[in-house]
Amino acid sequence: MGTSIRESIWTFPAIETVHVLGLAVSVGILVMLDLRLVGAGIRHIPAADIMHKLKRWYLAGFAAMFLSGILLFWSEAEKCYRSPTFRIKLIFLALAGLNALFFEIKYVPTMRTWDATGITPTGAKLVGWASLICWLGVIGFGRWTAYGMK
Amino acid sequence: MKHLLFPIFKWADHTWVANWIRDSTWAFALLEVFHLFGITLLLGTLVVVNLRLFGWGLASHSLSDVASDALPFTGWAMVATVISGSLLFASEAMKCYGSIPFFIKMGLLATALLFTFTFHRRLTKASQPSPASKFAAGLSIVLWFGVGLAGRAIAFF
Repeated sequence: MGTSIRESIWTFPAIETVHVLGLAVSVGILVMLDLRLVGAGIRHIPAADIMHKLKRWYLAGFAAMFLSGILLFWSEAEKCYRSPTFRIKLIFLALAGLNALFFEIKYVPTMRTWDATGITPTGAKLVGWASLICWLGVIGFGRWTAYGMK
Repeated sequence: MKHLLFPIFKWADHTWVANWIRDSTWAFALLEVFHLFGITLLLGTLVVVNLRLFGWGLASHSLSDVASDALPFTGWAMVATVISGSLLFASEAMKCYGSIPFFIKMGLLATALLFTFTFHRRLTKASQPSPASKFAAGLSIVLWFGVGLAGRAIAFF
C-alpha cells in the first residue's frame, strides 16, 4: 500500500514531465518547419532539410510524447472521457495529423524543387499556418485539460 | 539566507496583478498555456542549435546559418516564457517561497541564462563548431531541461 502511493506520487509527475519535454523537442522542431513554410524568419535552412535531417530527433520526441500521453490518458481515462477540453484537443490532434498527411502527399514529392527556388506554393504556406494553429490548439487544450482536472 | 529574499516574495504576492490572477477564473490557466507555448519554442529551437554544435542534425549547414535562423525565435520564446512565468510566480509567490524545486529552478535558470548569453552565444557565432562546442551543447541541454524538470516539480512537491 505504501509502495503504491509512493509510486503514484512519483510516476505521474515523471510521465507528465516526459510528455512535456517530448512535446517541446518534437513540436518545437515542427514549428521551425512551419515558420519556414509561412516565410517567417527561417532564411537559410530549406524546409526539406528541417524535415529530413532532423527527422530522427522529432520522431523520437513524438514517440516519447505519444507513449507518455497514452499512459497519462490510461491513468485518467474516465476524467478525460468527460472532459470537453480533452475532446477539443483530440480534434486538433487529428487535424494536425491530416494536415501533415496532406503535406506529405501533395507537397513533399516536389519539395526539393520549390524549396530551392525560394518560392513556397500557397498551399504549402497554408499547410504551415494550419499546422501552427493545430499544434497551438493541441498544447493549449491539453494544458487546459490537466488544469480542469485538478 | 533564504529569509533575506522573503520581502521580494511578499511584495510579489501583494501586487495588484497577483491578486487579479488569483481572483480570475481563467488567467492562471491561460498564463500556463502561454508559458508552455514559450517552453516548446525555446527548447525546440535550442535543441536544433545544440544538435548542430554536436555535429548532428543540420550538419550540412554552417553553424552560423543554423544559429541565425533558430536563435531569434529562442529569444522571443524566452521573453514569452519569462513574462508568463513571472506572472504565474506572483500569483503564488508564497507557495514558491516554500518550494524547494522553485529555488532549484531559479538557480538553474540563472545559470542557464548566463551560460546562454556568454559562452554558448560566442560558440554559436563561429562558422564551424570547435572542440568546446560539444561540451557547451551538452551543458546547454542539461541546464535548460533541468529548468523544465525542476519547474514541473513545483506543481507536485
